[in-house]
Amino acid sequence: MASILLLEPDKQLAKSYQAALHKAGHTVHWQTNAQSALTVLDDHAPQLVILELHLANHNGVEFLYEMRSYPDCDHVPVVLHTMVEPEHPGLGHDFWPQLGIQEYLYKPRTTLAQLVERVNRLTLAQAA
Amino acid sequence: MSRSVRRADVVSNDRLLAALAEELKLPLLQIARQAELANQADIEMSASQALWFVDSYLLSQQLLQQSSLELEPVAVSSVLQDAAQTLDSLAKQYNCGLELSISGRFMPAMAHRQALETALVGLGSSLITASQDKKPRLILAAHRTQGGVVAGVFSSTDGLSQAVFQRGLSLYGKARQPMQELTSHTGAGIFVAAELLSSMESILRVAKHHKLTGLAATLQQSRQLALI
Repeated sequence: MASILLLEPDKQLAKSYQAALHKAGHTVHWQTNAQSALTVLDDHAPQLVILELHLANHNGVEFLYEMRSYPDCDHVPVVLHTMVEPEHPGLGHDFWPQLGIQEYLYKPRTTLAQLVERVNRLTLAQAA
Repeated sequence: MSRSVRRADVVSNDRLLAALAEELKLPLLQIARQAELANQADIEMSASQALWFVDSYLLSQQLLQQSSLELEPVAVSSVLQDAAQTLDSLAKQYNCGLELSISGRFMPAMAHRQALETALVGLGSSLITASQDKKPRLILAAHRTQGGVVAGVFSSTDGLSQAVFQRGLSLYGKARQPMQELTSHTGAGIFVAAELLSSMESILRVAKHHKLTGLAATLQQSRQLALI
């Protein structure tokens, strides 16, 4: 259904997310860090990005600023799927619209079914 | 040992516990998601519950560190519904009938929404797992009083009284079964809830609802909205 860039630093979790998204018919390009994810963007723009903010070296917000500078990627919707808890002071909502963040999902309280449901909804809305 | 040295020890222990709790989140999350993928509902539920406890502990520590918690007008009925939804699969696992009881209409109450929901889920999960009944009942309820909105969780489980609860609070962190009359477990969800509610300047108390005993707290009604 959709081409998805998954930025997930943990291999075990990435396997589960990939499997669930594959099962729902999506193509998943999984990367563990911002640098390698940017090289994927050089090849093709995904239809949706699922992003963990806690990444090694460059964090998720830095990746987003860089991604938004790519002409092909300036409107790609982003789902923050992160270990950063909703109460974290650094998780200000002010910069979300600017960076095209459509959804925030707190990873410890989001099931695979919920993630797939949000992804399906966003990709369908984008296609319409 | 001087008081300042003991205080330094407490701070160091808190940091160590917080670091351990953070570290535990990842493997628990891995187990929960792998179990979900493999349709192993029981394992998923157990891992999710453990993850929930760890996460709630971290939330309560974070909130307690804040000098003052920002309270906002919260629709208590909607928080009860969300908490019931979170507890639903655990209740099914324990063959527990889960009900919502929201009597009458009332104004929003002043609370920290996430802390209130976490407290209610903590109370619910502790009371569900404590029950020895074959078909236990759990009611998440709210009603209005002169003092504000009372929200709580009530159960058909025996053994809960104000004396048991008070003794539990004094033994919490020292004894393995601080509320032995109620549960064979640690009752951690109850104590996490008590801490979260105290961070909202509300006190958890033993209360009754439709012949069931439970734990509830009174939240102040939102004065700002009452003026409209």
